[in-house]
Amino acid sequence: MIASVAVVGHQNNPLYLQSFTNANDALKLHHIVHCSLDVIDERVNNPKRSVSTLNESYLGLLYPTESYKVYGYLSNTKAKFLVVTTDLDVKDADIRSFFRRFHAAYVDAVSNPFHVPEKKIVSRTFAQRVSGIVKAFAAGTNG
Amino acid sequence: MGREVAESCIDGVIIEMVSAYGRRFYATKPELAAHRIEAIGYQVGHQLIERYTMERPRFNDHLEVIKFICKDFWQELFKKQIDNLKTNHKGTFVLQDNNFRWLTRISIDPSSDNNDGSQGSSSEATNLLLYFPCGIIRGALSNLGIPCAVSADSSNLPFCSFMVRIKA
Repeated sequence: MIASVAVVGHQNNPLYLQSFTNANDALKLHHIVHCSLDVIDERVNNPKRSVSTLNESYLGLLYPTESYKVYGYLSNTKAKFLVVTTDLDVKDADIRSFFRRFHAAYVDAVSNPFHVPEKKIVSRTFAQRVSGIVKAFAAGTNG
Repeated sequence: MGREVAESCIDGVIIEMVSAYGRRFYATKPELAAHRIEAIGYQVGHQLIERYTMERPRFNDHLEVIKFICKDFWQELFKKQIDNLKTNHKGTFVLQDNNFRWLTRISIDPSSDNNDGSQGSSSEATNLLLYFPCGIIRGALSNLGIPCAVSADSSNLPFCSFMVRIKA
């Protein structure tokens, strides 16, 4: 199941961080997300010649640790989306469709004229939509 | 899921915005009005480009970004593509539109009343109006990571050209 999702801006400033576990581990999630940013930079700046993933937005599994995995997605405007999941067996297609829906929700949140670019996203609609997408994802993988 | 709006509403809002900033809010300071209109365009371009690049894979270089602006972005905004693109390969691009959609509604006033050296009011309004698409282009490019300066030239309505200078 998904432990948390995060949106990071193009200057590596956090824009949104939401955890879906009941524990009070916001600090640990911040730390995980921060470490994953290095992996993203590395993937984008040093492309592997063998696989032509240079232009793709979906970055795939960034790094697995003992209890969770982190998936990344980079939009054209250098907004980074990160998903921390504790599932051991997640299908690529599921995560891709999750990121697509997440990107759509992000675009709607940023198009809000009252949203200040590069500041935190405070929209409640966005939080509700993200919770909905996470629930749908969990239901999809369990079913 | 998306709702639709008549295009004449958009035309009306833009014309009224330019007129409000030019004639009422900053009537004595046209440079401030231009700056404000350009800033509004910057925010609009910034947000629009996020929406229109959602499906695309990432860009390789500046030329691809400019081509995207000329083709897909212009198509979404104005239902046509840029007619001509010129570059000096050193960071300057000129985008030419032979029939700029927002300018088709501007009338050219044949009788100019004020002959005190300043231009006729219709060309002032046109200049102010053109700051808006300049801002849109600048906002779009800067959200894609390309800081630049954009200026417009419309000596020949409705033909219009935008010059984009990429800051190194």
